[in-house]
Amino acid sequence: MYVYDSKVGRRRFIQVAAGAAAAAGAAALSGCASVGSKEHAIAANEQGLAEWGREAGEWIPSCCNMCGGQSGILVHVVNGVVEKIEPNNWNPNNYSNISTDFFQGYTEEYGTAEGGCICPKGNAGIMQLYDPDRVKSPMKRTNPRKGRSEDPRWQTITWEQAIEEIAAKLKALRDAGEAHKLLWWSEDHSFTHIQADFCTLFGSPNYSMHSNLCDVSRKASFKMAMGDERPLADFIQSKYILLFGWNPTSAIKWVYLPRILTRAIERGARLVVVDPYLSDTAAKGHEWVPIRPGTDGAMALAMAHVIIKEGLQDKEFIERWTVGFDRFAEYVADKTPAWASEITGVPTETISRIAIEFATTKPAVVDTWSGPGQHSNGVQGGRAIALLAALTGGYDRPGTLLIPDKRGNKHVEVEPDKTASQTLSQERYDGLSDFPFGHKSGVYGRMWERLLEGKGPYQPKVGMCIFQNLVMSGPGCAKVEEALAKLEMLVVVDTMESETAWLADYLLPGTVYLERYDLNSHWVTWPALGLRQPVVKPLFGQLAEYEFVAALGRKLGLKTADGTPFFEVGPLSRKPIENLTAWYEDYLSNELVNGAPKITLDELKKLPGAVWVDKGGTRYEKYADPIPLEKLKTAFIDGDLQRDGSAIYDKPKSEHGKRIGTVIGGRAVRGFFTPSGKIEFYSPKMASMKDAMGEPVDPLPVYKPRVWQPDQEYPLFLINWKEASHTHTRTQNNAWLNDIKPENPLVIHPATAQRLGISDGDMVWVESRYGKTKAKAKVTARIHPEVVGAQHGFGHWKLGRRAVGRGAGFGDLNTIAYDPLSGQGLHKEVCVRLRKA
Amino acid sequence: MNRPTVEDQLERDPSLSPMERREMLALLGKWVGAAVAGAGVFRAGEALAQQSEAAAGTKRKRRYGMVIDTRRCVGCRACVIACKAENKTPPGVYYTVVFDHVIEPRIDDKPLFMTKPCFHCEHPPCVDVCPVSATFKREQDGIVVVDYDRCIGCRYCMTACPYSARWFDFDENYAPVEENTAYASVPSPEYRQFRRRAKGRSPVGNVRKCHFCLHLQDENGEYNKAEGRWPACAKTCTGHAIHFGDLLDPASDVHRLLRERVAVRLKEELGTEPNVFYLL
Repeated sequence: MYVYDSKVGRRRFIQVAAGAAAAAGAAALSGCASVGSKEHAIAANEQGLAEWGREAGEWIPSCCNMCGGQSGILVHVVNGVVEKIEPNNWNPNNYSNISTDFFQGYTEEYGTAEGGCICPKGNAGIMQLYDPDRVKSPMKRTNPRKGRSEDPRWQTITWEQAIEEIAAKLKALRDAGEAHKLLWWSEDHSFTHIQADFCTLFGSPNYSMHSNLCDVSRKASFKMAMGDERPLADFIQSKYILLFGWNPTSAIKWVYLPRILTRAIERGARLVVVDPYLSDTAAKGHEWVPIRPGTDGAMALAMAHVIIKEGLQDKEFIERWTVGFDRFAEYVADKTPAWASEITGVPTETISRIAIEFATTKPAVVDTWSGPGQHSNGVQGGRAIALLAALTGGYDRPGTLLIPDKRGNKHVEVEPDKTASQTLSQERYDGLSDFPFGHKSGVYGRMWERLLEGKGPYQPKVGMCIFQNLVMSGPGCAKVEEALAKLEMLVVVDTMESETAWLADYLLPGTVYLERYDLNSHWVTWPALGLRQPVVKPLFGQLAEYEFVAALGRKLGLKTADGTPFFEVGPLSRKPIENLTAWYEDYLSNELVNGAPKITLDELKKLPGAVWVDKGGTRYEKYADPIPLEKLKTAFIDGDLQRDGSAIYDKPKSEHGKRIGTVIGGRAVRGFFTPSGKIEFYSPKMASMKDAMGEPVDPLPVYKPRVWQPDQEYPLFLINWKEASHTHTRTQNNAWLNDIKPENPLVIHPATAQRLGISDGDMVWVESRYGKTKAKAKVTARIHPEVVGAQHGFGHWKLGRRAVGRGAGFGDLNTIAYDPLSGQGLHKEVCVRLRKA
Repeated sequence: MNRPTVEDQLERDPSLSPMERREMLALLGKWVGAAVAGAGVFRAGEALAQQSEAAAGTKRKRRYGMVIDTRRCVGCRACVIACKAENKTPPGVYYTVVFDHVIEPRIDDKPLFMTKPCFHCEHPPCVDVCPVSATFKREQDGIVVVDYDRCIGCRYCMTACPYSARWFDFDENYAPVEENTAYASVPSPEYRQFRRRAKGRSPVGNVRKCHFCLHLQDENGEYNKAEGRWPACAKTCTGHAIHFGDLLDPASDVHRLLRERVAVRLKEELGTEPNVFYLL
């Protein structure tokens, strides 16, 4: 049993008296059974208990990676096998995002008062680890043709051969001065830093990751409004929770969400969910507001209209901490609830009432995620929602949207050598800099488009895809396949033979999170960092992804600017380390020592639950924090300290200086990391910007209808969502998860179904202008009558034997689409028609 | 005894809006049918002790039970999988399931989530019908168990259970077990018997059910939540909706909740006296 004991320095086993089972059995035999009772002893297996019981083997603290949530876990490993995975009670990610709530009743010995929790996916990690369909050895394609119906005709090869051949191709590229023609895609939470380092040292600017398929539009919305990419909702202290298209109790991004949301309701908060679908979160809400997809921004503007008209805005906060309010007020003057009602389908009175409730209940929190975000007008819509919070002073105060304080491990940037620098200075292939609010994760859609058209600044030759299923992730699966097939060489590292792996020239077996390391700085509101560590050796003797990257780096002899062979010398110890795992441990230690924890990897392992938690806790109104004098001394001031609005950086911008504050009211304070240092209702800077299509950026959160609208031919909106049962397109082969969610029926409103003669359980054809798919109908009033939708992730034609043919995939009903401000993939902007199959 | 009805209690609960009150009554209508009007609001403490004595004909040491908060259950089904992970149950065997029945009459088909393990009834109909005395209710703590070595797989108990809480092991296996990966060597800790899956060997061909993770009790018959010796479903519950403990212990969470909140049991009219309560 894992219980933390500071005296031992790590964990100890609670000794349950041997023969406990026998005692229990004896109790049953003890003669207290009444007349007529059937009670008798059930014999226990003493040997089994000793060998496999909770006191046998080891409980190893780690972090989950069944999704990107990174909850803490305790893994019971007995005889080299993972027997069980349980919640890690020391990790705030499993409990609360507010420190006072987390520490209430917390003890070093047992962790949180009520114990943590893990979601169904976290519990089902065992089935991911022991999935018999996993890729077990490196494989090389022998069929030169690529496509959905082209069998790769794999040839099993050794790791040595795989690394040799891949490195040879990469070396040729680099020697020819074409290192930038390497495109690299990765997941966005796992071993990202070392992959970015590899790209830098190799000389490719084209390192990209998953986020642009997920929530970069939300990131852009908040960045525009208040300067941070990911404020976090403080539900538990809130009294009014208004969600636009977010399903936190089911699309459990962080496993503390169900607890803090239901607990908030218990403490008297009202939950209102605006969503075309009555999500599982809406099922816990007091009110569900069905809305037309992609119109959330209009509703938010009308709410702002009401709040300002009624004079309910937080005038003091607006005066002190925002700019451009008057321009905004002028803009929303005619954005009446009647105007929005026409667009959104939400009754006028409902909009007015919710606006007043939201502005008069304190504290209130409003938040949004990928529902409204994955439409072509998602960024400005999200910005309108973000500004609702600004109107009510709803930033960084208890019960509102909090500015994250996510100090954890530090990515110690590598200095590329001369060769690498030459190609690094090339433009990114996706033209990321064209996107005024683009994210470092890149723009996948732009890459596919350019690959297909043969346009762009150059023609990439090699693709490296690690722990991503680009094809199934869409939008526009068929187009992505076509684009990837254009590359001279595609390398895929994955645990499963995914739809993307099917197109690979080399397929290498990846690791499940239980077989590898990582550092996870958690998305709670104060600094916390959890360790992921290998609890079992990689099952097939395969290299962990970071070891593969390091091995490749060694083969290529990649060096830093000072000539150090980066992948051979420990970044912290500065000594050569031959063992790849040991080298990576040193790499992680370096990130910890240079980061907020300032401890080594070994020291992190010894902390309770292997999680470092900053004792400082959640802090509020951080925007008013003065910049400490010692920081000011070395800071770079863009302007002068006497002038209001001068931006303050920790070092010159040319040295990658980070914004740390602004001069406001004659004082150097943190403020908000926007151009003005304040929340911006109107942004003068945006007025001079152009988006990726060359169109001017609206300096106000202007509502424009999304591009693809229903018409006579395709009259229905098609949306998709996430649920607790599966992660993206990754887990549909997981035996236990398939048990709780074997397929993803298409949810249809009874009125729509009746009109089309569709009954519950019927198979229907779902057709768009790009393609069609067959789905099983689920007729329920849980959805807006003009909308149909389903859980995302099903409809595999590869991945594993149990995933194939399960449920419906909708990726072929869309085409490549991304928004021109942030590069967000537009998964939810589809219109369809239905007919009974 | 003139006990207040659920309607009375719901009427008096200040935290409920009129709409919610109506919804909950509607839900009750669905679940407990005609018994709604007569369904007593559960009174903790003395009543429980009296019932225990009446049921067992002896002074009960403990009475383990669950109090499940429907307001906290988010329908995620972590409990279903945690139970599988703990007890290594095969496909088709679920010691707990999650309902998401629609609350009627509503125009928007809003579901109400609730997890449903075995209720470990005071008067378990399943026990009475077993022809070989394989299933019985433990006197010391009220847990209803199955002795796999006695069970002949006749499944009378399954038909007798009014709550569909029993499952037959048809010898199906999940892929990692079926295809003999390293995980296939992991035995189930149930009843501390540590059985491995094998053709024709118990519990294959037996009836199986929730036993409140009995194997996690210590030698004194006690669980310990802080140390992780706690029913797997309750330990992982993302909404912290599943409360477990000794219903006879006034210091327990479950006892307190039954004192403070409105609780109902399903199909109260059958007189089975379930030891699993639902908070509304």
